[in-house]
Amino acid sequence: MARHRHNDARSRRIALILLAACAVAAIPVLVILFSIAKKPASPWFGQYDPDAHQAYNFSLTDHDGKPVRLQDLRGQAVLLCFGFTRCPNICPTTLGNLAAVYRKLPPAAQERTKVVFISVDERDTPASLKEYVPFFNERFLGLTGPPADIGTTARAYGAFFRKAPAVGSDKGDYLIDHSTYTHLIDPEGNLRVLYRFEQLPETDRIADDVQRVLGLPVPEKQP
Amino acid sequence: MNRILCLLFVSASLVFAGDLKIEGAWIRAVPPSSKATAAFMTIINKTDTPVLITGGTCPVAQEIRPMITTKQANGVMGMAVAESFAIPAKGQRVFEPGGDHIMLMNLKEVPKAGSTVALVLTTESGGKAGAIHLDVPVR
Repeated sequence: MARHRHNDARSRRIALILLAACAVAAIPVLVILFSIAKKPASPWFGQYDPDAHQAYNFSLTDHDGKPVRLQDLRGQAVLLCFGFTRCPNICPTTLGNLAAVYRKLPPAAQERTKVVFISVDERDTPASLKEYVPFFNERFLGLTGPPADIGTTARAYGAFFRKAPAVGSDKGDYLIDHSTYTHLIDPEGNLRVLYRFEQLPETDRIADDVQRVLGLPVPEKQP
Repeated sequence: MNRILCLLFVSASLVFAGDLKIEGAWIRAVPPSSKATAAFMTIINKTDTPVLITGGTCPVAQEIRPMITTKQANGVMGMAVAESFAIPAKGQRVFEPGGDHIMLMNLKEVPKAGSTVALVLTTESGGKAGAIHLDVPVR
């Protein structure tokens, strides 16, 4: 009996300790939940950077063979992504979504928006980019350059790429694993919004972000 | 009227091949210089045995392979050939843009938007070989 009572007391103590531990563990959770509830919802769909970080001023060659620097695109919103023209699935998905974003912009915003696709494949040339990038929208711009410049540009934007083993019977025909983020750069050349690949199908919301970055009024959505 | 059209559309996009059901198959229209494109669809397996998609044939491509798309935490994506791609028993697998897909490799002819491509997927289930014949719209 005495022993039972002793055990009871012990399990009660353990239960109390566990309860206290749970209560302590719940504090940060509650704090986080509270701060989420209090924070006004960000109007931005992508990951927004409130600080003005200048985007790297690359100097590359466009699909017509003309030199292009990011600086030349001042005054425009730039949607920038990396890829390669032999990419069978990811790049067409990205560019297809960005084409839908572009179509959803009012004409005044389209005139001030540039979609830029930088090839990370040394096999790509201005000619191969010209056959590929304008297919999605004739106003999109494909860029290439010497591997060293492409490497520097990719690193500056936090993008990564590497040759992947060939698929299928043609062993010389390698693919490239590559980053799939899309950057939205504001008309002053600052990195403003970052989109994950999975976010790109939300083309309405990205079009809203583009108009916001251009300082254009964004139409109120019906709830 | 709309409902009838809708039903017609749904039934046209469904294919029954034995105990496999294929839904919403399409091939992506790609630039005329492309060497590859991809087919997307949902494959539903109603049997009690897993079905393997082992490959296929298609008049416009030299090789047909099921591909698995990989993604790392840093947003880097790539893909790998799946020697066979299993549709679980009483389950389904989705091939979709940006995800797993059926790759049409070494294109002999780049399929045009609005056309239809005959695609045969080869299967294996319980040691028996089979095939799914599809007419897939390009868009």
